Amino acid sequence: MLRLIAAGAALLAAAPAFSQASLHTCFACHGANGVSSLPQIPSLAAQPAFYVMAQLVLFKNGRRQNEQMSPMAQPLSSDDLRPLGEAIEKLKPPPPAASPVDPEKWNRGKAIVAREFCGSCHQPDFSGIENAPRLAHQREDYLKKALLDYKKGARVGYGNAIMPEVAAALSEADIADLAHYLAHFRKRP
Amino acid sequence: MKTAFALSALAAAALAAGPVLAQDKKEEPFWAVGRPKGAATAKMAPVPSNPVPTPADKLPISKMRLPKGFKAEVFASDVLDGRGMREGDKGTVFVSTLFVAGKIYALVDEGGKRRVKTIAEKLFLPNGIEFKDGALYVATPKEILRYDNIEASLDNPPQPVKVYDQLPGEVPHGWKFIKFGPDGKLYVPIGAPCNICEPDPEKYAQIMRINPDGSGREIVARGVRNTVGFDFHPRTGELWFGDNQRDWLSEDMPQDELNRVTKIGQNFGYPYCHSGLMVDPQYGWGKDCKSYVKPAALLGPHAAPLGMRFYTGDMFPAKYRNAIFIARHGPWNRTQKYAADVVVAYVDARGRVSRVEPFLTGLVQNNRYLGRPADVLVMKDGSLLVSDDHNHAIYRITYSGPR
Repeated sequence: MLRLIAAGAALLAAAPAFSQASLHTCFACHGANGVSSLPQIPSLAAQPAFYVMAQLVLFKNGRRQNEQMSPMAQPLSSDDLRPLGEAIEKLKPPPPAASPVDPEKWNRGKAIVAREFCGSCHQPDFSGIENAPRLAHQREDYLKKALLDYKKGARVGYGNAIMPEVAAALSEADIADLAHYLAHFRKRP
Repeated sequence: MKTAFALSALAAAALAAGPVLAQDKKEEPFWAVGRPKGAATAKMAPVPSNPVPTPADKLPISKMRLPKGFKAEVFASDVLDGRGMREGDKGTVFVSTLFVAGKIYALVDEGGKRRVKTIAEKLFLPNGIEFKDGALYVATPKEILRYDNIEASLDNPPQPVKVYDQLPGEVPHGWKFIKFGPDGKLYVPIGAPCNICEPDPEKYAQIMRINPDGSGREIVARGVRNTVGFDFHPRTGELWFGDNQRDWLSEDMPQDELNRVTKIGQNFGYPYCHSGLMVDPQYGWGKDCKSYVKPAALLGPHAAPLGMRFYTGDMFPAKYRNAIFIARHGPWNRTQKYAADVVVAYVDARGRVSRVEPFLTGLVQNNRYLGRPADVLVMKDGSLLVSDDHNHAIYRITYSGPR
């Protein structure tokens, strides 16, 4: 995997303009067609272009940090980011998590989603829009990681995204339930 | 109202203060304080600007609607977070930024194309700029700086001189719009440090003025919540200002205000009376709107009037002379988006607003913004520049119809 990342980075440096190749660089870690099969690494498929660009800008200017992503985002110019975001948005959304549904967790997660009005920004079908990412069928472990990062203050929102405040009010058990529900969204127990 | 931020106060503060400390119970951001709980309000937040500048050929020029004879074109693109504008003596257009960039730019004409030069950076919310006698003034929530002889040194700007550092410095409504008046004094607003509260009136919710050396502070207008644009009537010299009213009261109230100062020290109502129409449900008990100066015009609920200028050029038809062009940023604190336009307020001979009409429209589509005007600038040639901090671009409006 590291070799692939290095190769990808070299490729980006050599050809700063967006190409199909740079999308394949993303796929190296984020999975074929942007559906991730690696722990803690999110699926990118069908994320809103705005969200993708915003997060890459945060990585680029150091406000969001990650060993792999920070250097990857570094060479990307505005002209690279826009088509990259648009291409990712057009990918086919990921399928529901294959793991079995835990009915109690799923139901608790559903109740938290209603209580916190998650669908207000993330859309009722959790397909995401603009600055609010797609949550439906995201990897369960990544959803957990993202919410915990917000809760711990390890991650900022782009713009006025209010996730640090929302996540701060959630317990770790809430976060686990939410992640389970969203990863298995519409996969009724 | 407006709390026009593309990047949040929180984010900007984090940027300035270094790494965010781990903490479990986060305070709400200031704009969210008092938000009623519910599905409709949960998604209301200051609208983030596009993460990357829109390329010149994708800017919404073809969507813009203007009166007959007017034309819009791209003046400059790739102006990240560009907001306030001033023209220098030698034709340089200076541009301020707010939450995203923390920079000041100089736009330099290079054979009809504008090059964007960064002349200052790592500034905290440097929204306020002014140009006078060869110097560029920059105001942050805390202080006012002066860059002397700036147009001669755009590639190597001088160290700024500190003009004034006695501003409160808080983030909420602490960013500035500054302008010299016909009296040679620098007018500086200090907004309310909150959505709605009862701050010390000697310190906040006012427009004050100082001498160019920072001395002689004097309050000019009181009861001002958050003005991000004002100008002086070209004939009477009177100060006119936009004021962004409180949030979370309702979808359609209060309405943002256009105000006229006819006497030094007049009170415009905040936090007791809004829009000249209603007392505040919390702070308005025992108060009466009759005690405060009524707005000269209402500009719409949460419409967010930002930059405004009297039209003093020769290019536009005569009816625009001494009328006020006002950039309305468009609401975040409202379910249905609207405005995101430039309107014209016509002022009659008695100093009253006879009407307010749309000028540049077409930037709201499917309840989303295609662009958001943040400031207007009347150029020496009579054309009008409009900054758009959603697309990070500046447009130029010209007139070539019958006169």
